[in-house]
Amino acid sequence: MEDATSAAADDPDDADLMRRAAHGDRDAFAALYRRHQARVYRFARLMTGSSTAAEDIVQEVFLVVMRDAARYDPARAALTSYLYGVARHQTRRRRARDRQFVAFDGRRPDSSEPVADDDASATLERRQTLQQLRRAILSLPRRYREVVVLCDLQGVSYSDAATAMGCAIGTVRSRLHRARHLLTQKMGRTAPSHEDHPGLTERCA
Amino acid sequence: MKSMQFENTDLADALNVLRQDEAHIEAPPHVEAAVLAAWDRAHARRREERPRSMWRESAAVAAAIIIALGLGQLGRELQRTTRAAVTPAAESRTLLLVGEPILQGEPVRVVRMRVPASTLTGLGVRSATGDAAAHVDVDVIVGEDGIARAIRVGM
Repeated sequence: MEDATSAAADDPDDADLMRRAAHGDRDAFAALYRRHQARVYRFARLMTGSSTAAEDIVQEVFLVVMRDAARYDPARAALTSYLYGVARHQTRRRRARDRQFVAFDGRRPDSSEPVADDDASATLERRQTLQQLRRAILSLPRRYREVVVLCDLQGVSYSDAATAMGCAIGTVRSRLHRARHLLTQKMGRTAPSHEDHPGLTERCA
Repeated sequence: MKSMQFENTDLADALNVLRQDEAHIEAPPHVEAAVLAAWDRAHARRREERPRSMWRESAAVAAAIIIALGLGQLGRELQRTTRAAVTPAAESRTLLLVGEPILQGEPVRVVRMRVPASTLTGLGVRSATGDAAAHVDVDVIVGEDGIARAIRVGM
């Protein structure tokens, strides 16, 4: 599902904010940024594996919004689809420029995150699984990575993902199916055995 | 690491955990500051450029009006001079339209030329003398773009 940050009923809708931003309303632009920056950032971060690259991409995306707000047509696509489309394009450009992404840079706030489970081994297992999954996602071909990030991790509907990716809904479905299959294979190959982690063995025993 | 069975349900669970893990992540505050600073810079530049460009546009319009008035005056002078200098062929019988039609009020110039009669024959006009080697006077009517509009043949 989409974030709960979507506009409340009494908030101006995205189209209205875009119109106002196109006319130079700074507050409208700032509201748009605050409403959508997180999903753009998360998409870019999951696509690139780099927080630094994701920050740059967020800036680029909103610079495009600033420049082209007047050209946005709400009848053609929801703003989220439009933003994902721009972010996707910027991610590709970034990739072409950098040629190679760096691995996740450890700026995750995991350490400050409250741990609900007191079981340290469970926490360790969870972290390892997440790390493996991130690596597996990053190792997917771009077209499969995009669809997993959009549909499975960002909760974007197939229809909106198709709009953002400029393809048919059927293509989204087939790519997602293939992507999940590839991920299952990759995770199966890299999943740690219990012998490697005695703590886990003990817990399972 | 050893291989172990990883099922679709495991993947769905792992994706769900990752989704929850990512849910609270946002761009750092300095990104917002940078984006809004870029907005301020761009709009400050536009505000500066607007009066300058308005001044430029006004100057361009004024210059265009002056040039148009000057050209109009020059055209009228030329027409007057041409009319005075070139008397039309005594007996104008044929007017050949060779280009775009002359617009009403379009300033034109009339250029008197002497051409071989054979040239007129090529244009489908038979010389009154019937002598292809003879020369005849024609008035070429030239538009303000320098392109001939018509040829008046005085026989």
